[in-house]
Amino acid sequence: MKRNSISVVVLLLLTAFVLALAAPSHAVTPAPAAKSWDAVVAEARGQTVDWFMWGGSPAVNAYVNGYVAERLKQDYAITLRQGPVKDIAEVVGKLVIEKQAGKASGGHVDLMWINGENFRTCKRNGLLYGPFADRLPNQQYVNWEKPSVYNDFGEPVEGLESPWGSAQVVMIYDTARVAYPPRTVGDLLTWIKAHPGRFAYPAPPDFTGSVFVRHIFYHVAGGAARWQGPFQPPALDQAASETYRVLGDLAPYLWRQGKTYPESPVRLNTLFADGEVDFSFSYHQAEASRNIIDGLFPDTVRTYVFDEGTIANTHFVAIPFNAADTAGAMVVANFLLSPEAQLKKADPDVWGDFPAIDPARLPAGWQARFEAQPRGPATLSDAELQSRQLPEPPSEILITLEKGWQQHVLKGR
Amino acid sequence: MTSPRTTGADARTRQGPGAVALSLALLPALAVVLLLFGGGFVLGIVQALGYLPGAGLGEWSLAHFARVLTDPDFLYSFLLTLYIAGASTAIAAGISIPAALGLASLSERSRVIHFVFQMPLTVPHLVIAIAVMFMLAPAGLFSRAAMGAGWIASPADFPLLINDAWGIGIILTYVWKEIPFITLMLLAVLRHTGRDLQDVGRTLKADAWQRFRYITLPIIFPALGAASLIVFAYTFGAFEVPFLLGQTYPMTLPVWAYKHYSDIDLMARPEGIATGIVIALVVMTAVILAQVLTKAARKRGLIA
Repeated sequence: MKRNSISVVVLLLLTAFVLALAAPSHAVTPAPAAKSWDAVVAEARGQTVDWFMWGGSPAVNAYVNGYVAERLKQDYAITLRQGPVKDIAEVVGKLVIEKQAGKASGGHVDLMWINGENFRTCKRNGLLYGPFADRLPNQQYVNWEKPSVYNDFGEPVEGLESPWGSAQVVMIYDTARVAYPPRTVGDLLTWIKAHPGRFAYPAPPDFTGSVFVRHIFYHVAGGAARWQGPFQPPALDQAASETYRVLGDLAPYLWRQGKTYPESPVRLNTLFADGEVDFSFSYHQAEASRNIIDGLFPDTVRTYVFDEGTIANTHFVAIPFNAADTAGAMVVANFLLSPEAQLKKADPDVWGDFPAIDPARLPAGWQARFEAQPRGPATLSDAELQSRQLPEPPSEILITLEKGWQQHVLKGR
Repeated sequence: MTSPRTTGADARTRQGPGAVALSLALLPALAVVLLLFGGGFVLGIVQALGYLPGAGLGEWSLAHFARVLTDPDFLYSFLLTLYIAGASTAIAAGISIPAALGLASLSERSRVIHFVFQMPLTVPHLVIAIAVMFMLAPAGLFSRAAMGAGWIASPADFPLLINDAWGIGIILTYVWKEIPFITLMLLAVLRHTGRDLQDVGRTLKADAWQRFRYITLPIIFPALGAASLIVFAYTFGAFEVPFLLGQTYPMTLPVWAYKHYSDIDLMARPEGIATGIVIALVVMTAVILAQVLTKAARKRGLIA
């Protein structure tokens, strides 16, 4: 314990040094060989796939380490190892160092759960293997026409990542405490000021806190549609400033007067369950049901979406440029898209994640099974959710808002 | 300061193996330290100077250090970190001295007490931090107990002990965790030396304070200094406890370094490493300063 006393930072440096021992050489992203799918599956036999992902959800971890790992072992003789991280950006950072050190093969990471700005960073720095997504047989069930599938936060996917699921923000409240929750973002702001100390949001750059800020941004900056196409930088500056002003004015009415913020959605859920705040929110429409089933939330908890809609996105898996087991990683990505894996994932007792595949493209038997899927007590119907979906803005806006929030709202400059 | 204590020095060199043999014996351990810590440190400096070709950064400059050091938050973060590390170390050391003295006589009779005292050493800081959060949060265990007992009317009346401006939750965690560590370091010394000297002191009619000041303190001082230094170095550089129990802003230097290092903007990474280097330099300065002070004290005969 005492021996590793200097700091996490120095440990990172040590890691960097060890990686740098390999002589730097020019790194090239290998193109997938033009092998048949059967050959890929054959090559994948016996491989161990290290899948790095955000490890903060017990439901996701159980699905991955239980069902998925067992089926891969049974059907493909692949050993799946989950690498849980707090933020996949840590892994992206590691890949940058490996690229720098010339480690072009034999990398430790075979698969990453990724989207948005991390995908953008990877794509622009050549940290990805592929394109591979179009080679997976189960791609036939994916609707690539959907804007949130062919564009990941405004960045064209171009086969460099394969969809795994999708998610939508929902507000979480307890009907026993709040009978009529505010139905629009504007009403929510009014509610917070009328109930000081009863609302909190995780501090950006936390993923969930960041999406809350984007809802405020859409609210003050003329709606989501305005920010999908090209925009003028001065317009963004003005809209962002207005967002910070609104959030700055809101801070004194937040939990602990906005002097400190929950560091994660897990902590926000704890505050909500402990009765310190009256709302939580989640980027997973089924998380509240999951928490009721797990006994973390009371049975009276329900979810809703704003009348103007809430932000939704698709999440993906991608293979690093230097992955050691690319064939295995592709087989895993393909298995994740299979109707049975997607159906299992959509089960609220398991995870309750939206399918990445379009059930309308499935054979009739599978379609019926998706329709018959039980929903958790607090999860809204697909129809209600899908009628109120807002797309994510391009990553540039997201990064601007995260940085600006820290400068102007947190530090008050 | 040319103190004529050559006989003592001679005695020391005579006892141990020769300097060459000693360094040879230590070589494997030294090599690991030099290669991994020294190498990592050098590589860190290289990256903090802006050389990160993988991210399209290829120019050397001191700009990242300058940006970190001139950031208006740097001084505050530095002082906050210093305050937390200093207060945790001082409080833990202050409690450990009487604890060690008490245990030195007690543990002779009871090995169980000694064993119980060792248990916190095996629990990771992270676990203690979470436990402290559950106990001291405004809606935590203590707050609810106080409400049940009718001492406070609502959770809002409970004092702010975590995520607070004074870092009380962080310091409590460190104090709880480090007292057993320092105490055991002191006990190791107390158990083997000093009993005869205490008897001599008593026969010379030295009172309790004099015996403590002139016998016990000099005996335990090197161990106390070393243990405190380890605790200070750890608490100055540790990330997880202030991340969980600190305020979102201002933040301690390790949290700041982590935030920069994990920033999605790769341009912020050299600043994160530069902050890490600053932390390492502060810790090294503390080690060197402690060595100098100890040496000076030894020369003046204040300590053994």
